Amino acid sequence: MTALPLDANDGGGRFPGFDAQGQSSRWDRVTQGVVLARLGRPTDLRFFTVAEEAAARALFDQLLDQRQEPRVPVVNMVDARLAEDQTDGWHYEDMEPDPAAWRSTLAELDAEARERHERPFAELSCEEQTLLLTDIQAAEKWRGRQASRVWSLWTRYACTAFYSHPLAWDEIGFAGPAYPRGYKNLGLNAREPFEVADARPAQDPAPHKAKSETGRQR
Amino acid sequence: MASVKDRNASAWLLPPVPGTNHAMRANMAQFRDEDEVDVVIVGCGAGGSTLLQRLARAGWKAVALDAGPFWDPERDWVSDEAGSHHLYWTEPRIISGDDPVPLGSNNSGRGVGGSMVHYAGYTPRFHPSDFHTYSADGVGADWPLEYGELKAYYEDIEGELPVAGEHWPWGDPHSYPHSPHPVSGNGELFLRGALASGITAKVGPVAISNGRFGNRPHCIYRGFCLQGCKVNAKASPLVTHIPDALHHGAEVRADSMVTRIEIDDRTGKATGVHYVRHGRARFQRARIVAVAGYSIETPRLLLNSACKRFPAGLCNDFDQVGRYLMVQGAPQTAGRFESEVRMWKAPPPEVSSEDFYETDPSKPYKRGFSIQTVSPLPITWAEHVAAQGHWGGKLREYMSDYVHWACLGALCEFLPQPDNRVTLSSEKDRNSMPVAHFHYSQCDNDRQLMEAAQGAMEKILYGAGAEEVITIKRFAHLVGGARMAADEQRGVVDADCRSFAVPNLYITDGSVLPTQGSANPALTIMAVTARAANRLIAGGAGKATKTTQPARPATA
Ligand SMILES: Cc1cc2nc3c(=O)[nH]c(=O)nc-3n(C[C@H](O)[C@H](O)[C@H](O)COP(=O)(O)OP(=O)(O)OC[C@H]3O[C@@H](n4cnc5c(N)ncnc54)[C@H](O)[C@@H]3O)c2cc1C
Ligand code: SF4
Repeated sequence: MTALPLDANDGGGRFPGFDAQGQSSRWDRVTQGVVLARLGRPTDLRFFTVAEEAAARALFDQLLDQRQEPRVPVVNMVDARLAEDQTDGWHYEDMEPDPAAWRSTLAELDAEARERHERPFAELSCEEQTLLLTDIQAAEKWRGRQASRVWSLWTRYACTAFYSHPLAWDEIGFAGPAYPRGYKNLGLNAREPFEVADARPAQDPAPHKAKSETGRQR
Repeated sequence: MASVKDRNASAWLLPPVPGTNHAMRANMAQFRDEDEVDVVIVGCGAGGSTLLQRLARAGWKAVALDAGPFWDPERDWVSDEAGSHHLYWTEPRIISGDDPVPLGSNNSGRGVGGSMVHYAGYTPRFHPSDFHTYSADGVGADWPLEYGELKAYYEDIEGELPVAGEHWPWGDPHSYPHSPHPVSGNGELFLRGALASGITAKVGPVAISNGRFGNRPHCIYRGFCLQGCKVNAKASPLVTHIPDALHHGAEVRADSMVTRIEIDDRTGKATGVHYVRHGRARFQRARIVAVAGYSIETPRLLLNSACKRFPAGLCNDFDQVGRYLMVQGAPQTAGRFESEVRMWKAPPPEVSSEDFYETDPSKPYKRGFSIQTVSPLPITWAEHVAAQGHWGGKLREYMSDYVHWACLGALCEFLPQPDNRVTLSSEKDRNSMPVAHFHYSQCDNDRQLMEAAQGAMEKILYGAGAEEVITIKRFAHLVGGARMAADEQRGVVDADCRSFAVPNLYITDGSVLPTQGSANPALTIMAVTARAANRLIAGGAGKATKTTQPARPATA
């Protein structure tokens, strides 16, 4: 399968020829079933309404910088989770359970876009979408909610879907399932025969500034 | 000391290949609801399984109910992060407070084996100082027992899991039954950075067999410990205690959600438990009830078992149930190295330091923290990156750099506080049982420990040559909520895990811990339970005829 499109400046092409799926014959059968299913036809949407689908697609494309095909079908993967109520169970006292929170925050996203540009979020230009999201991320409160909780809901589901996909693993050099094969070569710069070395090891995403940053879980 | 196999033959009862002993499960005892069993245990995790194995060995008619499935690792578990979601307790729960604690994947499991199915596998002991922090430092609480009363049980459980590691210089110095595992790039950098910054770090202690143990094979260093070990190398009660329990006539009844403990208003004693199995409401009679449902579900069940005698909730006459619930502050700091670390290879638990565990009189805060390797897989690593505020192209770029990062985690001893508690909400689950509401706020001491721990981890990573570090603030390991104490005004159970209010009701899980130290809790939960089991057996509380002698004298 072709690689996901990613600009070299954004870390594309660091593991030339690396193919996580290429190892699938070495995975146990149950794991094969679960992981390879992600490469098949995406499930039809069952949870999102048409309007929610449009907003969610645009949101995920932004959050994960997916601008062209092939894409990881994040919207279908999140839709399936929500349809099956496959959530973490917990919710903040001041937020709804995840499925309801998704519906209402996507509606708010469209409402915000309409207030600013008189069009729903999906109809905004890429730059307008980026600006709007940048504002939400920076805000303390957003439309009556704690902005960080909305942001974490969105990014949590987006990242879980995207980084469960073998094509995303190719991009980051991660070989995926490791049973029953296991690993034989542990240690710094040690690789298994099927692993590929980073072609640009000096591409530190935050170059030339020794720094320390702190974030908060969720 | 009797050999491990003589005390607990679990590892020898498993098949010599990965998977489970299907015949043993098929032939397991099946008690009827109408039978008054000697003990019914609610929850088959760290505490519940240990109790089940001990009592079954002593000849008790024992049944353990678990809300989740009886896992078959070969069929049910995968070597994949997103595909392991079903291992967690994902029933609805509500969180609040100044510092609400996300639950689900991050905190608790369901099914036979409990949270240890997907725990990392670190099994340090508590330090002797943990048992009297109030007398020594004026913070936390004093336990109604001291370290010396648990020591023999620590040794027993370490043999049964078994634990691998270097000689342990901290707390009460001790050795481990299995030698330390080789370390990966992540562990190598921790050791190097610690050496450079004058901090002692040691390999271990992990409940992962090093070499074959019974029929359990050696670890294959596949790094998916938090997704359930398909290899059977990592210890969880599913492989360390359940097989021996079944062999001695115990029943494990999976898919059975207990909703209420029944109390006889006339005698004030527990008569059994109400539970829902396959959609049907049922009642198991028992002479003794033991609750081991984890720090959220145990208080929830007690509170939901209010009755005429206990209108405010079972054992809650003094408003103690659900209170003093603790999490450990668990910030994780990662460092960027030009070398490839590939931290996902090998088990995440490798190397630890307890240099900062004890109160340091030169610091403004009391108690301390420990530091350990952690090795987030891609989805969890994306959470780290997203927590720095990155998204879009920057997120993808950071993620493409994954092979270059090493990651450490700290465990900070957050203090027990009465208002950090579980109550019942008005929201209901699918069994119409009120959902747990968990309220959590940190105190100043907690926050100072988080800062200090981050500083220490940064120092180690820079000492190892990191070019950049990032930190994510997280929490881990819930304990408390039905704590043990010297009397009923300060706690729910006594040192033997027997409730003050109901003479035949026991609590044998992490809920009973009055303080948590900065050690991962599973080993201590098992040791406390093993001690309680011994006392119960010696006291003959529920059992007319014993067929086997207890493994240890009651005075151990
Ligand atoms: C990601 C992660 C990593 C961890 N890493 C470590 C580590 O490295 N070292 C360590 O020591 N600890 C670790 N822990 C914590 C450790 O697993 C728990 O502290 C420990 O398992 C708790 O034991 P317990 O007996 O209290 O409950 P559990 O082991 O959680 O068992 C409770 C059981 O009760 C069942 N149950 C609950 N309510 C009911 C009910 N009403 N009816 C029937 N059944 C019920 C549940 O299904 C569950 O199986 C980790 C936890 C997580 C989530
Ligand atoms: S690394 Fe070892 S202990 Fe962990 S899951 Fe793999 S085989 Fe099991």
